[in-house]
Amino acid sequence: MSSTWRNVFTYNKYAQITARALRSSLKEEQRAVAEKRGLTALRYQQWENGKGGEQVNLTVEGEKSSG
Amino acid sequence: MSSLRLLTSTARRATTFTQARRGYAEVNDKLKLSLVLPHKAIFNSTEVVQVNIPAESGDMGVLANHVPSIEPLRPGVVEIIESGGPQKYFVSGGFATVHPNNKLTINVVEAAPLEDFSLEAVRSNLQEALKVAAGNGSEAEKTEARIEADVYESLQSALAK
Repeated sequence: MSSTWRNVFTYNKYAQITARALRSSLKEEQRAVAEKRGLTALRYQQWENGKGGEQVNLTVEGEKSSG
Repeated sequence: MSSLRLLTSTARRATTFTQARRGYAEVNDKLKLSLVLPHKAIFNSTEVVQVNIPAESGDMGVLANHVPSIEPLRPGVVEIIESGGPQKYFVSGGFATVHPNNKLTINVVEAAPLEDFSLEAVRSNLQEALKVAAGNGSEAEKTEARIEADVYESLQSALAK
């Protein structure tokens, strides 16, 4: 059972899933602090000729899976 | 008669010689443990007696003078035995490295002492994960739920002890 995930996920993704499972099992107060660590947010915008382009948010997927 | 006595005494000397040279891990020396998360260090070169780790190949105990090795860790309990008494941390997975200079470093993504976990949260998370794993989602969703369920099952048995 242990390594069937290898066909689907990378090790980094696997480590992320186990870490998130651990955080969600903590007691209320520790969990509030810990879950902030689990969230990585990234938003980028390309600038050209002094004008900002469209903002692209890359965190949608992460928010969905952590919620 | 005297030659026989000579023979037995050399045999005895030979055994004491081999016993002194045996290179097993010893309890007398202290192991320097570092248990490190990306955001904090729980132990930093702290001298401990023994560390039990949940390696991918099976649970193992590490004493001082352990042979250098690298072990991937399952989600499970790391037990640290100090002169003061044992401490238990649940770790989410990572690597344990035994260095040649009597050091053990454990790098994991998340870890917390066992008393920080809520058994009710673990139970309800496990139910949820098992439901998703048995459901008809995509392969990725089901595999993810299966990995989570493994973590919760391991946590549940750790907390039940």
